[in-house]
Amino acid sequence: MASPKTVPKDAQVMIQILKDMGITEYEPRVINQMLEFTYRYVTTIIEDAKIYATHAKKSTVDADDIRLAIQCRMDQSFTSPPPRDFLLEVARQKNQTPLPLIKPYTGPRLPPDRYCLTAPNYRLKSIQKKVSSSAGRITVPRLSVGPVSSRPTTPTLGTPSVQTVTTKVGTPVSLTGQRFTVQIPSSQTSVKSATPSTPTVQNVLINPSLIGSKNILITTNMVSQNSAGDSSSLKRKHEEDDDYDAL
Amino acid sequence: MAAVQDGSIEPESEKEMKTEPLNDAAGNHTASVGGVLSSSPVAASSVGTPKANTGSDEQQTLIAVLQFLKRNKLIESVDILRREAGILEELDDTQGSEAAGAGSGGGVNAGVEGRDATSSLINRVSIATTAPASTPAPAPAKGGEDQPDVNVVLSAYSQQGDPVLYPVYYNGLKNFIESVLDCHRAELSQVFYPLFVHMYLELVYNNQENEAKSFFEKFSGDQECYYHDDLRVLSGLTKKEHMKGNETLLDFRTSKFVLRISRDSYQLLKRHLQERQNNQIWNIIQEHLYIDIFDGMPRSKSQIDSMSGSLAGEAKREANKAKVFYGLLKEPEIEVPLDDEDEEAENEEGKPKKKKPKKDSMGSKSKKQDPNAPQQNRIPLPELKDSDKLDKIMNMKEATKRIRLGPELLPSVCFYSFLNAYQGLTAVDFTDDSSLIAGGFADSTVRVWSVTPKRLRGVKSAADLSLIDKESDDVLERIMDEKTASESKILYGHSGPVYGISFSPDRNYLLSCSEDGTVRLWSLQTFTCLVGYKGHNYPVWDTQFSPYGYYFISGGHDRIARLWATDHYQPLRMFAGHLADITCTRFHPNSNYVATGSADRTIRLWDILNGNCVRIFTGHKGPIHSLAFSPNGKFLASGATDGRVLLWDIGHGLMIGELKGHTDTVYALKFSRDGEILASGSMDNTVRLWDSLKAFDDIETDDFTAATGHIHLPENSQELLLGTYMTKSTPVIHLHFTRRNLLLAAGAYNP
Repeated sequence: MASPKTVPKDAQVMIQILKDMGITEYEPRVINQMLEFTYRYVTTIIEDAKIYATHAKKSTVDADDIRLAIQCRMDQSFTSPPPRDFLLEVARQKNQTPLPLIKPYTGPRLPPDRYCLTAPNYRLKSIQKKVSSSAGRITVPRLSVGPVSSRPTTPTLGTPSVQTVTTKVGTPVSLTGQRFTVQIPSSQTSVKSATPSTPTVQNVLINPSLIGSKNILITTNMVSQNSAGDSSSLKRKHEEDDDYDAL
Repeated sequence: MAAVQDGSIEPESEKEMKTEPLNDAAGNHTASVGGVLSSSPVAASSVGTPKANTGSDEQQTLIAVLQFLKRNKLIESVDILRREAGILEELDDTQGSEAAGAGSGGGVNAGVEGRDATSSLINRVSIATTAPASTPAPAPAKGGEDQPDVNVVLSAYSQQGDPVLYPVYYNGLKNFIESVLDCHRAELSQVFYPLFVHMYLELVYNNQENEAKSFFEKFSGDQECYYHDDLRVLSGLTKKEHMKGNETLLDFRTSKFVLRISRDSYQLLKRHLQERQNNQIWNIIQEHLYIDIFDGMPRSKSQIDSMSGSLAGEAKREANKAKVFYGLLKEPEIEVPLDDEDEEAENEEGKPKKKKPKKDSMGSKSKKQDPNAPQQNRIPLPELKDSDKLDKIMNMKEATKRIRLGPELLPSVCFYSFLNAYQGLTAVDFTDDSSLIAGGFADSTVRVWSVTPKRLRGVKSAADLSLIDKESDDVLERIMDEKTASESKILYGHSGPVYGISFSPDRNYLLSCSEDGTVRLWSLQTFTCLVGYKGHNYPVWDTQFSPYGYYFISGGHDRIARLWATDHYQPLRMFAGHLADITCTRFHPNSNYVATGSADRTIRLWDILNGNCVRIFTGHKGPIHSLAFSPNGKFLASGATDGRVLLWDIGHGLMIGELKGHTDTVYALKFSRDGEILASGSMDNTVRLWDSLKAFDDIETDDFTAATGHIHLPENSQELLLGTYMTKSTPVIHLHFTRRNLLLAAGAYNP
């Protein structure tokens, strides 16, 4: 241990705390880590308390604010296990059901696939096929569903009135058994000129584990400049370009 | 009552008079109210002293008392009190209606009202006698006028009398216990620790920080040495908010601490506490302690010390009375066609060699149902596959070449040191045939090594598998991928240190449990993760596969052990009951029971069939870190941070042996294949071998010991110790006996 005159006061306090709690052997880095944790915790609490004080239109932070801040942080970061009587009750209920019989051996005994980690968590990008270009070509971007964010292929979702996205993109929505319709407003041709002439099918990563049953319909309403709203329904599995109603 | 005598000595005669009528009141009501009422002699006696400064508060509380007594038709006491207090009759009536209104009917409220008054009077006594208590005094004083509010404040006190007087009560009890006969003193001293902790927690809970601190300073030094860790934790706990996050202490506060006291000692204590109106302590004892009385000789200090130490006291006798089927399940007949050599091996299963396979084990018990063994179908177990049967045959072949160990023939020990682990090695396991080692590390990886020269191979990818000839004889070899074969494989997946590892008996799966709250199942064919079992939301400290595969158990910080099956994503059973984290979980060899060791210093044995706790073993003085069942299923060995290894008889539920020798936590325990030797590995860098046959022979489990639970442990640790083997600087965290009784040990080199 360093001589007392070089150890800062905070560290001395921490050393004393460790001694009081009966911890006699520790690496020197432990003091640093403990001090860092203390500093981070205290500043978090005080900042939270400041926010609560200003919310209550008080000019200074007082003990009540601190108490509230500590309590909120406790419920958030430092949760503790449920109380014993609750656990006993839950356990009693769980233990009432008899043990399930074991089916004869039909391969490795694993839970249903959706609870396993055995599914692939990637999908390969399909090869881009050449399609004849035309001025009115509109590429259809696909919206991704799930934690993987979509590529920004529609720079203009800019007609707010038309925009009706039924579900928030980006949230890990469980899509089991739901019909899911996403309408994508048309993109302007002007923008399209920036895109390559061959419509690229941008495959997007969809996390298969999120999609239970395969009832997803991604409907794109394309309003091209010279045609009325035209919707083509695409099933998730069939992603060939041929499904597009290209105009 | 000692407290009273300290406080007011002069009005003792008055107190005696009031005692009788007020104690009659006690007879009419529940014990709790009675307890409070009996404290009112203190109050009533002190009425004499502050009579000079009778303010309106005083008057009102006195009147409230009178009202209460009147309502309960205690005319004599009413007269006496009125005479003493000098209250006029008119005042009674005017106040009477108010009080009645405030009281809002019901006997309970009347009791509360009375309690309010008396408690406020008690507080005045306390002001006069002990250090002033700022917080309780103003509140009840206010309560004189506003009685319903006081209920809320005083409900915190419940019926345990005034917390400020706790040091006085404790001192009184201490003096009494020191004055009893020697034979009773040891037993009655058991009361000190739980009483101390409960009183301290009560003071903290009621925001009496200063009183709590002074109480702690005064009496914590008297407690037994093995409670010092608990007391240190308590010393840091001074505010009610501190208690909120500490589930263990909250559970301790709400559960009853079990004490086993002989009838004579108990009568002594009861008589003392009841006769001298020490009802405060009596109430506290009744509320927080469960006294399990047994008939017989009082226990000696050493007997008590060996059994106590847990956070919940000892085990009640009924807790250990359920029938436990500790026998082994019958080995199934193996009907695979064998050649001559194997036929011989098959017969080993039943009894010593006989040529004819048909005649199996007529003489031995395995033919008849062992009365102590569970039914074969008590719990569903997976049937044997062909590969399992081949494994069993291999096992039996190896068993023939097994060395019989004994005090004269000690096993050789082969130590596997993990180098460059940087203190990150947290768990180790060997397969049953000792061909693979797995290590769990603090960097959240799991590594698997091959012990034999045979390298680890995974199954080929799907593309390659479609190319092989499926009809060839060696298809099982062809599916293996030689290109990526290596000595070791690393398994990534966890997001926290891996604290427990377990191989499946058929060597197909590996389980690992981690601080991230999940238990992962890995395939050893493909070396990838198959399933993540989520259920614990807190670190999982230990996991183990069942001896027959398919089931596994996990235990962690949330104080619950869960039983899972590999094909269910939710647990099948939840074993709740421990007061603190579960640190060690082990299956019984017949897979019907699970033992869990916990940080509350108890070991519980659970029945898988219905989730009941069938045994509670107390005696360790520190968290339990290792458990081992003997191969015959009858005994359990446990090791804890106190360095002792304790031996338990499962059938009777008793401690039968204590092996002292280690100086640090015992992290590894293993019985040899036939149960003759117990090996223990510890943080003090040693492996010790103990003679378990001798330890189990010495027990005399006659009816007397079973009935009373008295154990007399022989001090024979030295004789049972067969050898101590020191490593250079490597704590031993795992032990494993190979099928031929070679001892393997594992640890991380820690220079």
